[in-house]
Amino acid sequence: MLHRRIQQFVLVYFLGLLSLLLVKYLLNLSDYVIPGPVEIWQTCKAVFSRYVFNVLDTLWIAVLGHIISIVLAFLVGIVGRRNSWIGSLIKAAAYNIQAYPIVAVAPIIFILLGDGLITRLLIAVLICYFPLLLSVIGILSEPVDSIEHFYVATKRMNWRLQVRIRAYENINKLTTVIAGSATMAMVGTIVAEFIAADAGIGYSIRTALYQSDLSKILTALFLIGISTSLYLTGLEWMGNVIQRKCRA
Amino acid sequence: MQIECQDISYQYPQTDTRVFDHLSCQVTGPGFHALFGQSGLGKTTLARMIARELTGYSGQIQSRHISEVLYTHNMERFPGWASIGDLMASTTPASGQDRLNALVDAFGIQSVMNARFSQLSLGQKNRANLIRYLLQEFDLLIMDESLANVDETTRGRIIITLKTLFPEKCFLYISHNMMEIAKFCNQIIVLRSPHKHPQTQMISGRNLLHENFFVMKELEQTMLEIVHAS
Repeated sequence: MLHRRIQQFVLVYFLGLLSLLLVKYLLNLSDYVIPGPVEIWQTCKAVFSRYVFNVLDTLWIAVLGHIISIVLAFLVGIVGRRNSWIGSLIKAAAYNIQAYPIVAVAPIIFILLGDGLITRLLIAVLICYFPLLLSVIGILSEPVDSIEHFYVATKRMNWRLQVRIRAYENINKLTTVIAGSATMAMVGTIVAEFIAADAGIGYSIRTALYQSDLSKILTALFLIGISTSLYLTGLEWMGNVIQRKCRA
Repeated sequence: MQIECQDISYQYPQTDTRVFDHLSCQVTGPGFHALFGQSGLGKTTLARMIARELTGYSGQIQSRHISEVLYTHNMERFPGWASIGDLMASTTPASGQDRLNALVDAFGIQSVMNARFSQLSLGQKNRANLIRYLLQEFDLLIMDESLANVDETTRGRIIITLKTLFPEKCFLYISHNMMEIAKFCNQIIVLRSPHKHPQTQMISGRNLLHENFFVMKELEQTMLEIVHAS
């Protein structure tokens, strides 16, 4: 699974790189705009180890933010699944907040909290939390009548059993949604770092942008892709283990 | 023990389809009774009304000496996280353990008690589902096609078992198997199209207690009455 995912990413990455070089040579662009392959390679060698640490720094914040988002989404989703006024309120609030681009709100968070770890984490959480919450609410509020009927009819239904039935019946959807939201956590962290942090791969991209150094940016993008692939593969593996255990 | 539907009229929400038009019927006494009719005439709808799972109709449904009504249908499933034996045990009252064993034997599903629901055949699924309902407190159990996909011999054996083990309970059995209904049921409510008045006809079944003790002529007579009524 890992092998295939990384292979696919490398293929897409190098196709993109080739297209960029094609544009450079077709339009006769200078090395300042798009550097040549040799310069890209040399820059890559020079910054690779530093960027690896930066991307790992970003990755652990993304993972932490993702975990927090999942826990929060399930806690709020369990309450929001109900057809009561609190459920409706949570759904309406989630849809409305989801409509706001968190990237636009991020500067406010930086102004209030500064550019430390908490701010990066908070933005990562915000970016992946709301889509995750809406999916979890959607899944947990959908009755599984064919199973629930007996427990309702015999007055044995409680919220724990209801959540368990619905989560179990939709385990494939839930694992897919969780794996999908991982990329959003990564994006959220990079966006946060790009806007105002002083660490992480997003910060490195911002620095490279100020230096107009496309080689560094391409190296950063490569490492972001590899680290995201690793994380997604890990999540998919966990999802498969959970699904196998459920079916056993 | 009596369930009486009085002047029931009902139309499905957001449709022009009138299912019941001043429908009245009643079932009296414990035993094995039937609700029979062609597909789409509203057997399930009426059953859910009696089970208090469906409201929004006009008219009245009154019950005497019936407080617990359960409705089960053949599309129900067990959760998939445990074996059906474990799941049944978790919903069986402590006093019902002997009865559980007796029903499992009578219904012929001992060999699959350690299996997950998804691993069972359709007939086994229906039998397992029916058992867990039979272990609950009820005065009236409505069985909507609950023995579908079960072979005829086993179906007959199961119905006889129910009549023997639960003589004081009331069953309302929904099935399309006319011979089975004519043979084993006491009172048969034949549901007819809403254009026909009255919308139900009551037929007396043979109410057999032994599967093979019947006179074919009498059975044919009952079946003929059902055909004419519908």
